[in-house]
Amino acid sequence: MEGQGMRIRRLVNEFRLLPYDPTKAIGFLLCAALAYLILAPVLALLLDTVRVNLRDSATIGIPTGTFTTYFLRRTFLSRVSEVLFWKPFWRTLFVAGSVCGIAIPMGALFAWLVVRTDLPGSKLVSRLMVVPYMIPSWTFAVAWISVFKNRRIGGLAGMLETMGFVPPDWIAYGALPIIVCESLHVYPFAFLLFGNALRSMDSQLEESARVLGASSFAISRRIVLPLLKPALLSSFLLTFSRVLGSFGTPYILGSGVKYYLLPTALYNSYKVGSPGVAAVIACVTVLIGVSLVALDMFFVREYRRFITLGGKGAMVRRRPLGALTLPALFLTLISLCLTILIPLGTLVLTTFMHRPGLFTVENFTLDYWMGTSIPAMVGQKGFFFNPDILRSLKNSVWIAGSASLLCGFLGMLVGYIVVRLPKSRVAAYLRQVSFLPYLVPSIGFAAASLSFFAVPRGPIPSLYGSMFLLVLVMSLKYLPFASRSGITAMTQMGNEPEEAARVCGAGWLRRMGRIVLPLQKHALLTGILLPLISGMKEQSLVIMLATPGTELMTTQVLRFIDYGYTQLSNATVVGIVGIIFILTLSMERLTGANLASGFASRG
Amino acid sequence: MAEIVLKNIRKTFGTSVVAVDNLNLTIQSGSFVSLLGPSGCGKTTTLRMIAGLDTPDGGELYLDGKLLFSESEGCMVPTEKRGMGLVFQNYALWPHMTVAQNVSFGLEMRGMPKEARRKRVQEVLELLHIDTLQNRYPSELSGGQQQRVALARMIAINPDVLLLDEPLSNLDAKLRLEMRTELKRLHQTLRNTILYVTHDQLEAMTLSTHVAVMHNGRILQYAPPLTIYRSPADLTVAAFVGSPPMNFFSRSENEGSDVFRSFLPLFPGLAERVHTVGVRPEDLYLSPMPPLDPWSYPAIFETVLPTGSDWIVSLRVHKRTIFSVLREEPRIKPGEQVWISTRTEKIHLFDAQQKRIESL
Repeated sequence: MEGQGMRIRRLVNEFRLLPYDPTKAIGFLLCAALAYLILAPVLALLLDTVRVNLRDSATIGIPTGTFTTYFLRRTFLSRVSEVLFWKPFWRTLFVAGSVCGIAIPMGALFAWLVVRTDLPGSKLVSRLMVVPYMIPSWTFAVAWISVFKNRRIGGLAGMLETMGFVPPDWIAYGALPIIVCESLHVYPFAFLLFGNALRSMDSQLEESARVLGASSFAISRRIVLPLLKPALLSSFLLTFSRVLGSFGTPYILGSGVKYYLLPTALYNSYKVGSPGVAAVIACVTVLIGVSLVALDMFFVREYRRFITLGGKGAMVRRRPLGALTLPALFLTLISLCLTILIPLGTLVLTTFMHRPGLFTVENFTLDYWMGTSIPAMVGQKGFFFNPDILRSLKNSVWIAGSASLLCGFLGMLVGYIVVRLPKSRVAAYLRQVSFLPYLVPSIGFAAASLSFFAVPRGPIPSLYGSMFLLVLVMSLKYLPFASRSGITAMTQMGNEPEEAARVCGAGWLRRMGRIVLPLQKHALLTGILLPLISGMKEQSLVIMLATPGTELMTTQVLRFIDYGYTQLSNATVVGIVGIIFILTLSMERLTGANLASGFASRG
Repeated sequence: MAEIVLKNIRKTFGTSVVAVDNLNLTIQSGSFVSLLGPSGCGKTTTLRMIAGLDTPDGGELYLDGKLLFSESEGCMVPTEKRGMGLVFQNYALWPHMTVAQNVSFGLEMRGMPKEARRKRVQEVLELLHIDTLQNRYPSELSGGQQQRVALARMIAINPDVLLLDEPLSNLDAKLRLEMRTELKRLHQTLRNTILYVTHDQLEAMTLSTHVAVMHNGRILQYAPPLTIYRSPADLTVAAFVGSPPMNFFSRSENEGSDVFRSFLPLFPGLAERVHTVGVRPEDLYLSPMPPLDPWSYPAIFETVLPTGSDWIVSLRVHKRTIFSVLREEPRIKPGEQVWISTRTEKIHLFDAQQKRIESL
């Protein structure tokens, strides 16, 4: 009895202390919330691979809820497994491998030119180089299809066809364009990674080898290459996870010829086939995603021992290009044209033409921007008057806006709890669970959320088709970045400023309002703006969740492409890119943060 | 006024690390008490528990007879309600507030009206000679100025108890002396209770009315500074306080046991109990010839380290190096033989449990 009374008294006391330090209580609430929002969906996805769902039960004649190996067998072993899974799987590996083969040498070469040589305008070049990485990955695919489209798919003719040259299928669709477009998007990653590695690599390391009598070949083989190995491995893994996670490019360029990669195969299975099979494919993407990140972490740990050695005081000597200056400059200009000017230029140009590719005065028009009725497209209006576009713009702003706010505050809260309760189980759990969405490729994460939230659970109704589901999934998917930056920011601040306020007599809410939030203003702003930018261009994550009432700009682009409304789809892409540029510039202005260095988002 | 009593205070981190082990300490009202010990000995944890930032695992804590914490009662007065002042090692000034705003924060929390706050801030800033810095931000201040603002911030609320966590360790040597003087002056002016955590014995010795020497979460000795220096309660205290450290000769060690035995005739009744003998360097005299002192021993003169005010001499006795501090320059060359000697009352004796034996 004595013990019982004491325990109650202690509980009462803990409760009375709550207003002063609710850290623990908030921590527990947060743990429970993240368990429900992140862990449960992923577990539901796993369960869906072995349990019959409502939609499948009708087709396969097994009652809903029965455990079965049917989906696993169908995906991996049946006669249709070749089409459902294996072909897309091998093609994904092939495309990813080819993208690595193009993007990594390209990124490495330009990184070397910019960091290690006296290439004129290298500052400007290095800023421009990251532009393809700022704009949505499928922008290139939309531009490509506008140019190379042929009669295989409907709608307006492509530019080349209008000009009299009909591109064969292998140029218009399938492996080649997908590889080229993905490479153009991914090479800035390699550029950044190699650039950082080269920048931190002291020239004196090479010079010491030279002093010791090493030839140029020996220096590159024994000194430079081993030091660049981490950058190489990281770019490799990043490229893979990018390809694995990107939906738009293979959808736009592959669907017409039934060239499916894992993300599009998953989407197809979900939309027209069996959700059970889709769950199996989603689990495979999750598995690959997890192993890629695990590998990356292993390598990072393995190389951390020498990676910091260069440090900040590294001396980087630039090598004069001499006679090679002009060719190098030329190469750089061509690459910038190919990756920025031509794709974006094409997109903009097509929106001013009735028939893209026909260069006559009367063919030019403002209809696709300002027109209230478009002769060629019954019932459609120009960009600024088009109800579909305007609604999708509103949706995008609402969804990405709310998601980024939610994500920013959640991330800060996770950071706060983790730093305030160091070494506790709550902190370790929050760290790991908030990181989990990072391991799961976007489309797999969407699939998981869909299978969990699409049906009513207790007091929570089915969320399918609601804006709230999109906000929720988006904020959770970006939570890893927000919570990591939250943890970093809180660690930097330390506990003392808040403890000093406690000593001065300030309660929790006052400490938050007067000390913590003002000190974290910048971090919070970044933690909101980065997800906002990502959210405005997000496609893979939302494609399965968006419904006719909740189309986002990015999914609206795909609808227009499906209908063959080239100009409208391109105008929408231009709109998205414009918004992203404005957001990025204002973020750089507001926070002084550099997008390229701060946010290496992966699929 | 403000007497702090700690009764059987315990604190463990994780499952195995005992930070504070059954601590009993009474800090009298108006005294200036230092917690002295090497890093990791539990002194900062003790301070944080008194402030209420850490919760003890067991024991009781009183301020002026009022219960602040009790494990068995399940009582815990939160930091915000304790009304103490705490100066952090790295100052923890709020970087987004000016000096005046930093200092006025605590007053604001107490609901003091604006005009009164302004006056009080002015008063405190003047007391610490930083009234010209009111509108600066912490990043625009030097280390010493930041230190003064951190002090002013806590003094502003006029706490009965002021807790200082190694406040001078981030300052350079000259500023440290200046701030030591300042702290002592403040204590004499304000007359509040100060608990001062430091690993710097010079700070503890020069500032405090009482010093508590801590080691492995326990208090080894709690006494006025001079008592600690002159009669260390045990071997660890003797070794920790004093620089260069006390010279020890122990029964168990190979090289020094001959020297150790040479001391025993001086303490006829204690020969069995004594386990270690200690002599402070400044109590070790040198002479070229065997002196008349009750104890002397031959040694080889190794080298001399002049500090300017005195000379630290290292000597070799049976393959062991010991130190002596001289007020005058020694006229002996390295390698020459000298005689070391001391007076009986300067010899410290410790038993097998490392406890001090009072020889008289």
